[in-house]
Amino acid sequence: MLEVEGVSAGYRGSDVVRDVSFHVDEGETVMIIGSNGAGKTTLFRAVCGLLPPSSGEVRFLGEDITGLPAQKVVRRGLAFVPAERHLFPQMTVEENLMLGAYPEKPDPDTLETVLELFPRLGERFRQLAGTMSGGEQQMLAVGRALMSQPRLLVLDEPTTGLAPIVARNAYAALERLREQGLTILVAEQQVPLALAVSDRGYVLENGAIGLAGTSAELASDPRVRSAYLGVV
Amino acid sequence: MTASILDGIVLGLQFGVLAAGLTLVYGLGGVLNLAYGQIAVVSGLVTLLTMEAGVPAVPAALIGLVAGGALGLIFDLTILQPVYRRHGEARVLLSLLLTLGAAFVIDGYLNWRYPLRGLNLRITGDPLVVFGVRMRMGSVVASGITIVVIGVLYWLFRYTRLGRAIRSVIQDEEGSRLVGIDPQLMMRLILVLSGVLAAIVAITRSMVAPVNVRAGFSLTVLGLIVTVVGGLGSIPGAFLAGLVLGIINSVASSYIGTFLSLIILLVAAAITIVIRPTGLLGVRE
Amino acid sequence: MSGRAVAAGTSLVAGAETRVSRSLPRLFGSIAAVGAVLAAVPLWVGDSRVRMGVAILGLAFACYAIGFNLIFGSTGQLFLCVGALAGVGGYGTALLADRVGVPVVAALVLAALGAALVGGLLSWVAVRRSLGVIFAGIITLIFALSFENLVLGASTITGGDSGIQVSAGSGTFLRERTTAYYVMLGLVLLCLVVHGLLRRSRVGWAFRALRDDEVAAELAGVDVARYRVYAALVGSAMLGLAGGTYALIAGRVSPTTYGFAQVDVVVIVMLAFGGIGTLFGPVLGATVFTILDELLIELGQLRLLAYGVLVIVLFLWIRRGLIPTLAGLVRRKPGSPPGTAPDGEPG
Repeated sequence: MLEVEGVSAGYRGSDVVRDVSFHVDEGETVMIIGSNGAGKTTLFRAVCGLLPPSSGEVRFLGEDITGLPAQKVVRRGLAFVPAERHLFPQMTVEENLMLGAYPEKPDPDTLETVLELFPRLGERFRQLAGTMSGGEQQMLAVGRALMSQPRLLVLDEPTTGLAPIVARNAYAALERLREQGLTILVAEQQVPLALAVSDRGYVLENGAIGLAGTSAELASDPRVRSAYLGVV
Repeated sequence: MTASILDGIVLGLQFGVLAAGLTLVYGLGGVLNLAYGQIAVVSGLVTLLTMEAGVPAVPAALIGLVAGGALGLIFDLTILQPVYRRHGEARVLLSLLLTLGAAFVIDGYLNWRYPLRGLNLRITGDPLVVFGVRMRMGSVVASGITIVVIGVLYWLFRYTRLGRAIRSVIQDEEGSRLVGIDPQLMMRLILVLSGVLAAIVAITRSMVAPVNVRAGFSLTVLGLIVTVVGGLGSIPGAFLAGLVLGIINSVASSYIGTFLSLIILLVAAAITIVIRPTGLLGVRE
Repeated sequence: MSGRAVAAGTSLVAGAETRVSRSLPRLFGSIAAVGAVLAAVPLWVGDSRVRMGVAILGLAFACYAIGFNLIFGSTGQLFLCVGALAGVGGYGTALLADRVGVPVVAALVLAALGAALVGGLLSWVAVRRSLGVIFAGIITLIFALSFENLVLGASTITGGDSGIQVSAGSGTFLRERTTAYYVMLGLVLLCLVVHGLLRRSRVGWAFRALRDDEVAAELAGVDVARYRVYAALVGSAMLGLAGGTYALIAGRVSPTTYGFAQVDVVVIVMLAFGGIGTLFGPVLGATVFTILDELLIELGQLRLLAYGVLVIVLFLWIRRGLIPTLAGLVRRKPGSPPGTAPDGEPG
């Protein structure tokens, strides 16, 4: 579904990620793990249209979307939830969700699904997004992305700033989405959480893919275990 | 006293529409349009010329509105393009300088080609009695139109998808892109809207007092001051500040001279800015 | 980031201080050269009273431009009250000398000090409240408008719309066109010297540091607030002095002598021509503009249109101002890209 080939991207002329290639097939949940500064965010921004790649190709659903701006990418079915979430703070949960469906009218069934997944959003429906807790905001960000009925959901470090129990709940929700057949790509620092929900993964180190494999393979790889799972 | 307050409200509503156009453009794009007053004046002039060509007042006014919107669009497509390529303070400064240049261009041409012309829409009708005060029909109609405009703006931004989309760009531009909104398209629409608002200012103001071709800069400066007092980027702030300043000006004029009351208005604005730089209802930073 | 900032700050200090002692003779030399060129003007236009008037006004504007350049170009404060500050000097001198009976020179000095105080106050307020560029611009604009309205309104004192005659200075050398020209020229040169010395002093490098990177400057120990106010004080004093001197020379002041549309707008156009942030830019800009304005006088209001186009073109494509860019083109080696201004002026 998503093919990323040889993508390099960065800021002010110097690349943070170099020649990165990976792919996500329909129905899969793929993770990209790596420590802080590995380049996960830069990579995702380049793939999702927030940053023009300096080289490489990005293909989504068979079409070349390299360098296409984010507002066009989301209309093709790729919804991105960045680490900073970028919610609309002075709008209510309802308004944020409704905007998720832009330019379409919000589909009532989709809304229902989202509220079922995140009942807290229903409770806080008319509350301003800026006044909610971190966990609730994360739910809203994901919910808003889901309102566009995406084919692929891309999340950048969804557990940023969340307490452990809230982070686990977030991944429980992702697990449910996965069961419903949604294709998911997630970048994560908290590797155990991501491993539990993914089919495959890539390890990003210093801007390049170091390891790749199924989650089982990665989980048992000694390098992954020592670097990211705290196992000596 | 009631008479001055009502006059102040009439004036204040005009200040509000004037400021609304400026504040919208700043709130969305971080751009200050110093040629705003000129857009108003051109729209007024277009209305005048159309009426002189035999077209009745209402369609002529509508043509004036179109002229205002068109001019806003032209600004977006031409001199604002390089401005958008900068960010933050550099963007504001460049927008100030380039729109100032545009203001000179328009002002110079208008004053050369149509010196001393002015739009003056005389509304016929006996004075209406409002709260025990006799108000000229022109003031009443002008205020009525302005109130309708406020209602339309409120409905637009609160209840339409487009309005929500525009608000979202103001609140979080990257977020808006993530949901499929094109900030540049929204900016273009806002510039057209601000042009239309400028035209409305000219047309409604001319019902109360003539708007001549030399009024451009004073309108812009006035609008700028009201905008800043109300809070850059806040439409409700623009109207609130407009009303407050309008009433202050009007009440002061009836007790003291025009110049002194203008100074009081200016000083009141300055004090507000100094005490509360974000403005009465400021949104941005 | 802080390490880089401190390094930047200290390198600025090092660089600036080595330049101080070396270039003084060069500074005075170039100012003298400019003075010599401008001193020759009466030889061409001395016989035309009208043209001499234009030339004198041009020199006054050169002073205004230098003052504005010092405040805006050096410390990034958008002072949209140049005319009003000059007006404080002008009306102040006229009223103190004529109505209060203060001796002319004292009146001039007092009025200039008054302008300095007002400018300094405006700057201090903006700095204390951390007002950004726009807000500082609006506050100063409000001052400019208030001043204009005050002058119009207090007509018993200020003569309102029609202004007042300035009897101080009449019958003296100030009213004689040629000598008046040289007095004004002297003032221009004085302003250049002051600005030039400032630029080469510790104060000057502080200005450059804070304009280039305010945060870095703070970290390197520059008291941004203080230097902004200094710049405003000195610049406003220049404006007041120029405004007052002009009042004595012209013999008449009215609101349009110091109005926003008549002064501030023109000064901005002049700086577009001559370059912001450079020493001679304002003089160059004032000269070019004055000559251009005279040449185009037939066009009447269309001149404004022409200036508008020029402002747009100049601020869009030639950031440093027309003359510096042309000079740069001449000096630059072929093939190397046009650099951005090292003294990163705003905009």
